[in-house]
Amino acid sequence: MSEQRALLCDTAEAVFAEAATLGMAPVEEAGFGQLLLAEADGGFGGDWGDLFAVLRIAGANVPSMAIGEHIVGQWLGGEVTKPYGAFIRVAQAAGAMDAALAMSIDYVNTRQQFGKPLGKFQAVQQVLAVFAVEAAAVNVAGAAAAAALDRAAGDAETALFEIACAKLRTNKAIGQATAIAHQVHGAIGFTREYDLHKLTGPLLDWRSDHGNDAYWGNVLGTKVAKLGGAGLWADITAR
Amino acid sequence: MAVNMQQSFSIYPFDPPGDVAALRAEVRAFLAAHEPKLGVPNCWVVGDPEFSSALGAAGFLGMILPKTVGGHERHPLERYVVIEELLAAGAPVGAHWIADRQTAPLILRYGSEEAKTRYLPGICKGQLYTCIGLSEPGAGSDLAAVRTTARYTLDGWRISGQKIWTSGAHMSHVMLALVRSEEGSERNAGLSQFLIPMDAPGITIRPIIDMGGDHHFNEVFFDDVLLPEWAMVGARGQGWAQATAELALERSGPERYLSSHVLMTALIDAAGPDPDLQIKGLIGELTAELWTLRQMSLSTAAKLAAGEDPMVEASMVKDLGNSFEQALPQRVQALVDCPSTRDDDLARLMRALLIAAPSFSLRGGTREIIRGIIARGLGLR
Repeated sequence: MSEQRALLCDTAEAVFAEAATLGMAPVEEAGFGQLLLAEADGGFGGDWGDLFAVLRIAGANVPSMAIGEHIVGQWLGGEVTKPYGAFIRVAQAAGAMDAALAMSIDYVNTRQQFGKPLGKFQAVQQVLAVFAVEAAAVNVAGAAAAAALDRAAGDAETALFEIACAKLRTNKAIGQATAIAHQVHGAIGFTREYDLHKLTGPLLDWRSDHGNDAYWGNVLGTKVAKLGGAGLWADITAR
Repeated sequence: MAVNMQQSFSIYPFDPPGDVAALRAEVRAFLAAHEPKLGVPNCWVVGDPEFSSALGAAGFLGMILPKTVGGHERHPLERYVVIEELLAAGAPVGAHWIADRQTAPLILRYGSEEAKTRYLPGICKGQLYTCIGLSEPGAGSDLAAVRTTARYTLDGWRISGQKIWTSGAHMSHVMLALVRSEEGSERNAGLSQFLIPMDAPGITIRPIIDMGGDHHFNEVFFDDVLLPEWAMVGARGQGWAQATAELALERSGPERYLSSHVLMTALIDAAGPDPDLQIKGLIGELTAELWTLRQMSLSTAAKLAAGEDPMVEASMVKDLGNSFEQALPQRVQALVDCPSTRDDDLARLMRALLIAAPSFSLRGGTREIIRGIIARGLGLR
């Protein structure tokens, strides 16, 4: 991670914490809308990897806020289209899943049943390992999609293959991971007063946003069918 | 909602030196010249000594070994590029696979000079094959329960005991075995690794036929087998640490999600350029999973090449890769009409893999053990 990105992430942590109570105002004041704009145009000159890092933090802390739309909308100078929206949701989901995983681990290490912490039961360890692997897949897919957008200078059509892969993979992961998060939390995680739903609710919504499985499956399947079997491998390794 | 969120798996740049596109083209040209041998499902357990020799002659084995022992001093990530090309094509790489992947690096790192001179050149030529002696009756996932013994005598080391599930023992020249070298030692203490020539007097190999009717693994019996001192690998009593480090080499490679890539290729080819929506959906989902796995595997390989120890990440790749490969034939079966009488490429590969797939989450550490390693990484154990 670059020095600049570390600083950006620290700022995002602080600003999004304020935004949790004050809304978009702190985000706008801190200038996050200029994240992707070139320095020559008075922007921050950030890349898509920077945006991914920032949106992970947004996904973990203020999952329901349209910070990604705000940033990408400024850069596009208009409405966020489906591929960009899909990338935004992947990045938010990467953060929200890691946060839900952290909450789940914290919970099973604290909550005792049958005389020991839940986390000491192999059955619990096994499902949380699955959760961690799914969260890892989303993080890697999101970072790789960001890298593809960087290579394409932000052109979503050029990076459509990677964006489609990342969104489909994320949708799959959300299904498994939210179920495990709730399962290991037991009844408390299903209540209004406990914060887990603030992550899992948006996560489940994001599977529908900017293209569900059927939509992206069709986009990607159409592309790959045209490439043919050997063509798919040639295409993947040329990226 | 302040949460302590770490990045669970950071992506790491996969950046091999040299002209990677040229290297891929070179491997693809080699593969094109060996066309009828390709398209093998579960291809890294299918051995073809002729193919392995040809690979060695072309300079694609022992890639990271020193030139003094017949290697090519290439970068580990160049080797990675070569093996993913071989696997994606379904090349029969089973004969030399274990020797090239784990035995050679281990001998290079810990082996005696005698062992290096004797074995490494043959591995680089694709003509010397090895097997791994870890499991025993009673010591499968609980590897520390190993009971085969090495007794130090005036003549040298004497090995007695039994190994089981030894892949390729019947076509290997040498076994790298983990055995108990300290009498009375327990668990993971007092273990050492030995290189055992498979033609040594006192060795009996018995085939175990798998449920697909194939002969890949074996029982191997040692009846007071005599080994010279140089056959011990590394320091006496350090076998456990060496063997577990060796396992990390075999967990995150492309073989964990590409060993049956030929089925995916056949699915796409059989579907044609404009399949129906359901098939498109399946192809899309499988592609997304394949691509993500590749990013994870590349990243882990780059970390290994940089000298890091990504034990948890490697386990994640293995777990996810196994699950993907294991589910693949049934996902194809659920959507594509392949009655048992159908006999084209797709149907043939699907049927072979439906039978082979249960082994995918057993070999190299069972799914439950691998998830235990991940859970430890999460701070749960």
